[in-house]
Amino acid sequence: MIWKLCSVVAISLMFATAVFAQAQRPDLTGVWGPYRGGRGADPKLAPTPAGAPVLKAPYAKPYEERRAAAAAATQRGEPGPTNGMLCVPYGVPTMMSVAVYPVEFIQTPKQITIISEAFSEVRRVYLDKPPSKIDEVPPGYYGRSTGRWEGDTLVVDTVGIKDTVQYQTMPHSDQMRITERIRLAAPNILHDQITIEDPVVLEKPITYTLAYSRLADYEMVEFVCDNNREFVDANGVVRMRTQGK
Amino acid sequence: MRIRSRVNGWVVVILAIAWVGTLSAHHSFSMFDTGKKVTVKGSVTAFEWTNPHAYIEVDVPQEGGGVKHWSVEMGSPSILMQSGWKFKDLKAGDKITVELNPLRNGDPGGLLIQATLPDGRVLGNGPGRGPAPSTSAAAPTGR
Repeated sequence: MIWKLCSVVAISLMFATAVFAQAQRPDLTGVWGPYRGGRGADPKLAPTPAGAPVLKAPYAKPYEERRAAAAAATQRGEPGPTNGMLCVPYGVPTMMSVAVYPVEFIQTPKQITIISEAFSEVRRVYLDKPPSKIDEVPPGYYGRSTGRWEGDTLVVDTVGIKDTVQYQTMPHSDQMRITERIRLAAPNILHDQITIEDPVVLEKPITYTLAYSRLADYEMVEFVCDNNREFVDANGVVRMRTQGK
Repeated sequence: MRIRSRVNGWVVVILAIAWVGTLSAHHSFSMFDTGKKVTVKGSVTAFEWTNPHAYIEVDVPQEGGGVKHWSVEMGSPSILMQSGWKFKDLKAGDKITVELNPLRNGDPGGLLIQATLPDGRVLGNGPGRGPAPSTSAAAPTGR
């Protein structure tokens, strides 16, 4: 009898715990636009910048030189090509923050799907699957993302980003791992704290927080990059194709 | 101070006006001379409501006869909608006045500053949902 009673209590506790955990989980479903903070805004809700990446010695100098050369070319009015300019997707994590474009979250019990309006990029976060082993994910633009709830925070683990998909044009190794902590900082403010770790390339992890505000009733706009008039000329400079001479 | 000079009939170049674009899209805008403003008046030949950018094509009559054709780059439809544009706002044959930042290399093209439509509305090229550059450190734009 006593065992039966204990079992009932234990099962009830487990159920209550599960219900409580479920109740803590926010519904992230909706469209979210960049939140800038600024005048009149609560500074705790504003995004926090990453600062410059600190690369390990073999990578630091070439990276700095390349960045300086690119900045100088842009200053001259002769920018070089970028993935975005070529209509190549931004991938993870850059797609989470492209200019002023919003992102849409679609939350279900087993999967959260994130769609960026810019370039219509899609990533899927699997909630009921174990984290990926780096060596088992073929490198791509979005890698493989798994997520779990820690209270009210969605923790997303991403590996398998290909070497040409770069954060701030920074090189990375196949050991790069991206961790995101996504939560509602306020009822209509979403935060995505992004941490990039790479034991091969980075001296220390890069961390920054993106902030979004809810765009109620916003309908995502189609974005297919089928009329790209920017091209790279023989000197490697980005030009705009005009119809007149 | 504005220095105006008439160039090629309908084209008015206004120098020394620094204009900093608020929109940010898939490429650097440094190919455009944002220190220069050109105004062209002419007939629309096409209005392309496309990504990554929309375009207005304009035939601009020249003072001595003939026509010079200009291609005007705009933001993307998503960004343009935030500043009041609709995909049917222009059609071939419409008379339009366009202010633009010209291409640095002299080709007849530029980046839209604002357009005066046949119905008198003046529409810009943004501002989108907020000033993009302000969070560029926190929020890489991927440009």
